[in-house]
Amino acid sequence: MSDQSVSRNPATSPLLLSARGLVKSYGRNRAVDGVDLDIPERAFTTFLGPSGCGKTTILRMIGGFETPDAGSLILDGRSLVGVPPERRPVNTVFQNYALFPHLTVFENVAFSLTLRRGAQDPAPRVKRALEAVHMGEFGARYPHQLSGGQQQRVAVARAIIAEPHLLLLDEPLSALDRKMRGHLQIELKDLQRRLGIAFVYVTHDQEEAFALSDVVVVMNKGKIAQKADPVTLYARPADSFVADFIGSATLVEGEVLACTPGNATIATPLGTITAPAIEGLQTGGRAALVLRPEHLQLDGCSGMILTAQVEHVVFKGDRYMIEAGIAGVTLRLMSNRPPEPGTLISIGFDPVASFITRIAT
Amino acid sequence: MRLTLHRAHLALPVALVLILGCLLPLLLLIAFSVFTVDMDAFEMVPDFSLANWAQMLTNPVFAFLIGKAVLSGLITALIAAVLGYPLALSIANLPIAWKGIAQILLLTPLYTGEIVRIYAWRVVLGSEGLINAVLEGLGLVDEPVKLLLFSPFTTHLVLLYNTLPFMVLPIWISAELIDRRLIEAARDLGARPFEAFTRVVFPLTIPGLGVGLLAVFALSAGDMLTPSMLGGTSGATPMAMIDNLFGTAFDWPLASVLALSLLITLFATASSIGFLLLRFKGARAVLQGGLK
Ligand SMILES: Nc1ncnc2c1ncn2[C@@H]1O[C@H](COP(=O)(O)OP(=O)(O)OP(=O)(O)O)[C@@H](O)[C@H]1O
Ligand SMILES: [Mg+2]
Repeated sequence: MSDQSVSRNPATSPLLLSARGLVKSYGRNRAVDGVDLDIPERAFTTFLGPSGCGKTTILRMIGGFETPDAGSLILDGRSLVGVPPERRPVNTVFQNYALFPHLTVFENVAFSLTLRRGAQDPAPRVKRALEAVHMGEFGARYPHQLSGGQQQRVAVARAIIAEPHLLLLDEPLSALDRKMRGHLQIELKDLQRRLGIAFVYVTHDQEEAFALSDVVVVMNKGKIAQKADPVTLYARPADSFVADFIGSATLVEGEVLACTPGNATIATPLGTITAPAIEGLQTGGRAALVLRPEHLQLDGCSGMILTAQVEHVVFKGDRYMIEAGIAGVTLRLMSNRPPEPGTLISIGFDPVASFITRIAT
Repeated sequence: MRLTLHRAHLALPVALVLILGCLLPLLLLIAFSVFTVDMDAFEMVPDFSLANWAQMLTNPVFAFLIGKAVLSGLITALIAAVLGYPLALSIANLPIAWKGIAQILLLTPLYTGEIVRIYAWRVVLGSEGLINAVLEGLGLVDEPVKLLLFSPFTTHLVLLYNTLPFMVLPIWISAELIDRRLIEAARDLGARPFEAFTRVVFPLTIPGLGVGLLAVFALSAGDMLTPSMLGGTSGATPMAMIDNLFGTAFDWPLASVLALSLLITLFATASSIGFLLLRFKGARAVLQGGLK
């Protein structure tokens, strides 16, 4: 793991928010189903997961817009139960920004400052907040006169001006095009470092989560599937759901033949393979081998050699993505040259680089 | 560009109807207003005379009647706003199943004909009416309260009853259109519920409030039946006078002058209301940008 993630290792910072056993149901549907969470100060934590897995619901409980059915939420050592949103030191950047349409950019950003009676002139602070998001010249505009990216910046400025201890961001970049998103990701990360505020971020874009986060929390059906830094998440997924959701892996199921500390041997349709493995696998049980495209080499000659038939070739700009079938399994790999569909290719692969994990329930 | 053209075409039939149905009678009125009447031949003479306009400006009865109509419309609109605003907001916050019922109840006054309603009010408010019977039965009054019927009170009570739906509906719709996340955003930024109302909800419902004020003003300032049948001696209206002049008195030129003067006054008042509301902080931005 990189130096960076160690130096800001969340585990060593004091705890800001702690959740235990959070549950929230809508009717019979358990949107959030027993979530434990520790968010250190200054950390950038991202919730990642497919649509409907409960990410927004968790954010809304932290923000005070939903009451948990069960569980505890403790911020700065105080319980948040029964505390209305306006009395939580938490601010939110809403999914569609929720800027006040009848107020100018300046007034939107100044909103929280003007609520306090006898507050001093908000202008200098508003100016600073707007400059922090490069929107200094837009104070007099109304929200409907701004582009999506500009609205997003105003929403961030409005949320940080009250100096919250925790900033919640619900897919703030999802409505923007790819280029703008990349640009704003860098700005958000930069802002977070400068302000030293803890960010809790929601996205279903894995690249975005990796680019921004100290810790990524992968959610599946209201439960946490894995909490880890991006490198661990990618290299050692806790189960087949995480492995499948992150990157474009091929999962090959098989029976566990043997387990040694750190390694396992499984019998797969591709053959018997020994590779690094997650803890706690049972001999005789089933497990999944995670094959990432970068573990597989076209015309490779080291490690195991697999012979597969080319099914599809997709041009990706810098390289070609090849899908090739072998024993009912479709492997995905990248290559500089496009093989003819239908032809047989040999794929080299080093099992030590792959990973064996649990099958998600 | 093509789209705009398209839209312009779509508006054409309506524009034609408006021009024919509105402008033409108006032009006729303007023409009539400078004609004179030959009372012996009992016909209108198409010459040019400003005598009718002079009479309009000098005879205080006309100004009094028009002023009374405007005042009556303003008072009804204001009271309807005060009563209707909270009502509209509560309806917007009802569970969905109740909203339908609320809507049906709200529109009740409009289902019954005006004459039926007026006689019903007479039954309720008259000396031997329901209210007086109850008051006397409870021993609260010794003799029937006369003020209940045939007084300005009656007129405005019934005008309010008739026009309240036109106040509540537009406010309700504009409250319904407010994105709930805006209210959550206000709370998130530190606003207590009441502050979220004054800072966000109220400004965003101003367009609805404006439509309601204008509708109620126009409906009640221009009403004739309610004041004349329930207002007793106080029930004189410019409308009734115009009716009288056009009909029995056969003074079409004077009737036209009065009608035009009333129209101009009502139009000026309504425009001022609209203008004042647009000056409200951000109301213009809301109308320009939509309620997204
Ligand atoms: N107000 C509500 N009433 C009923 N069900 C709800 C409500 N809000 C959310 N849900 C349900 O709870 C589950 C979790 O919703 P949530 O909004 O937290 O998902 P999400 O992870 O944010 O998804 P997305 O990525 O699509 O935003 C979903 O199945 C959703 O249908
Ligand atoms: Mg969501």
